[in-house]
Amino acid sequence: MVLSSARHITHMDLDTFFVSVECLRNPKLKGKPVLIGGMSDRGVVASCSYEARKFGIHSGMAMKIAKRLCSHAHVVKSDYEAYSKYSRLVTDVIKDSVPLYEKASIDEFYIDLTGMDKFFGCLKYSDELKKKIVKESGLSISYALASNKLVSKVATNEVKPNGQLEIPFGNEKTFLSPLSIMKIPGIGKETGYRLLKMGVETVKTLSEIPVNMLYNLLGKWGIELHRKANGIDETPVIPYREQKSIGTEETFTTDTIDVKLLHQELVRMTEKIAFELRSQEKLTGCVVVKIRYSDFQTEQKQMTIDYTAFDDILIQKVKELFTGLYTKRQLIRLIGVRFTDLISGTHQIDMFNDSQEAIKLHQAMDSIKKQFGQQYLMRASACMDNKNITHAPKPYKT
Amino acid sequence: MKFIVSSSSLLKHLQQISGVINANTVLPILEDFLFDITDKKLNIVATDLETVMRVQMDVESQENSRVCIPAKILIDSLKNIPDQPLTFSIDKNFAVEITSDNGKYKVMGENPDNFPKEPVADDTNSFTMTSRALITAINKTLFAVSSDDLRPAMTGVYFELNKDAIQFVATDAHRLVRYRRTDVHCPNQDSFIVPKKPLNLLRNALPDNDDEITISYNSNHLFVMHGTTQLTCRLIDARFPDYKVVIPQDNPYKLVVNKNDFQGALRRINVFSNKSTNQVALNISGSELKLAAQDVDFSFEGHERMNCNYNGEDLQIAFNAKFLIEMLSAADDDEVRVELSTPTKAGILKPTEQEEGEDLLMLVMPLMLNS
Repeated sequence: MVLSSARHITHMDLDTFFVSVECLRNPKLKGKPVLIGGMSDRGVVASCSYEARKFGIHSGMAMKIAKRLCSHAHVVKSDYEAYSKYSRLVTDVIKDSVPLYEKASIDEFYIDLTGMDKFFGCLKYSDELKKKIVKESGLSISYALASNKLVSKVATNEVKPNGQLEIPFGNEKTFLSPLSIMKIPGIGKETGYRLLKMGVETVKTLSEIPVNMLYNLLGKWGIELHRKANGIDETPVIPYREQKSIGTEETFTTDTIDVKLLHQELVRMTEKIAFELRSQEKLTGCVVVKIRYSDFQTEQKQMTIDYTAFDDILIQKVKELFTGLYTKRQLIRLIGVRFTDLISGTHQIDMFNDSQEAIKLHQAMDSIKKQFGQQYLMRASACMDNKNITHAPKPYKT
Repeated sequence: MKFIVSSSSLLKHLQQISGVINANTVLPILEDFLFDITDKKLNIVATDLETVMRVQMDVESQENSRVCIPAKILIDSLKNIPDQPLTFSIDKNFAVEITSDNGKYKVMGENPDNFPKEPVADDTNSFTMTSRALITAINKTLFAVSSDDLRPAMTGVYFELNKDAIQFVATDAHRLVRYRRTDVHCPNQDSFIVPKKPLNLLRNALPDNDDEITISYNSNHLFVMHGTTQLTCRLIDARFPDYKVVIPQDNPYKLVVNKNDFQGALRRINVFSNKSTNQVALNISGSELKLAAQDVDFSFEGHERMNCNYNGEDLQIAFNAKFLIEMLSAADDDEVRVELSTPTKAGILKPTEQEEGEDLLMLVMPLMLNS
């Protein structure tokens, strides 16, 4: 406890991040109900403005239903590239200003200001950082300063949008007590429902339940929950790390058992992420293929390979994995390919398997892709005209 | 049954063959040595079912007998017993009692009839070479053997026999070593693949001198005999890749460098390279060779330049530094010649001068540089 008494952790969260970015790009959207997400019938709401939330819309809701709830809402297709660009901008500001930070998600940051109180005062410093971020990016951000990650996150959610709060050390329990248990991160539908059924509504009640009882009810998670309810959280701020995997997945417009189509899609996805891998001068040592059946049952299989970024090898491995994975003859809703165990480097040429022709072809393809964009050049086996795939590359027609 | 043997001599013989025994075996009896006494000769055998090693020594004994004795406990005890004659007595339940000046030790042996039978050497062809020649061949090739069990053919050294030469080839698909000796004559034109483990054992068991050793083989096994020491191993039943086609015949650019300088530079630079790829970029122009490595994840970087003798167009090519360092160690000469062509084609490494009757060629595939 010596450690936590000395800690000062600020949690910063960009308010309705996706919507704010869209508003920056199109100021007309300001103050209006905005929905962001997939445009197709099966899309979901990724984020929505406060104005839209008044209609009972929340993120994760099916777009169809959201539109029914608020028919005059502006629907914007999500543009993750733009969002990550703004996210990087904010990350850079934080990186330049603080000694230790963790990027918990695209719009959330934990900043460890422990020790800074001697010089600037943590609250003052956080406040200055907030102003700096707003000035540099034009996005609204909320923060809370507390003695651990849990309390600062809960507090940030309480003061959103555009708010700030300090929970002084020792006041964690007082702050959490009156809140609903659903505010504790980690309590979702299931745990929440079980607790509510027992009459546990506020964090105060939860914190007073003996730890043994929670253990009997929820197992190990019960012990952790007990600590959380008492405002205890010792998890450290882990510095932001580079991405450890790269992948993509595709949900079909209608579920399919067309193996040929699935193979085409696998080739297309593998080619796409393998190119991304090479662009970043990285190699992968592990390939993962995932499928989700129409009943949402999800299975995945992985394989360790020699480090490579070569399309031919990766496509072959992905197909092998898929063949081993798809044995059920059941409709498939989604397939995904992911490369993990990434290292930086370039392909070690194999004297027996990589012919000079293949190497030259590869290099030529990559240089064309780099110059004109990767969507213009692909294997014929990945090229298809199918309405079942939203982003399917269309063969060129005259 | 009883026999008397010198403790230090027994230990010496056991240590020659104890490398065969694996730490975790499926069959408990594979953790044992087989002791077989015939006419005052003690034969000791160790096996892992793939490789069998046998040594022979003289003992004092009245009768012929056999027993299996657990290897680890026997070696551990012998290491701590001062040099003296030891008396082994074995009862009918294969309980072994060892009597020394210091005291008595008991271990439970096993029934020798359960010990795996050695493969029989029938239908064999044979040739001879010196012990030193075989050790040299192993030292120059074994490092390039692959450990990828998915390509079993490459997990051993390929022996290619000829009337007037023998060739040893090892590859892991990224590099290849071909070592040829013309002072060995084999009656038949034949080839087989010997796994890594027995070669490693031979390297440790054989003396580095001109003793003659006899090598016999049939379609399944290899038999190596040096005096009374014998090693038998199963050959790898796979087809060795057609390595001849991947050796470029006409790499036009020749780079000559001092071996020790080059190796030293690579060793220093490699510290700063990515630990998984060991990628080092060579930039050769005129008489200057630049080496560069970096690890972007940790912001490590290393650069060096050295003098070289090069005739060819300016070239940038990347290699795994570990491969180059190992290959340079296998070259005995002070200077090495590297033959290159394009950044995606194999580089060839040779000592500038070779011993009479020997020919060493090493090949290494580059790492692809993203253009």
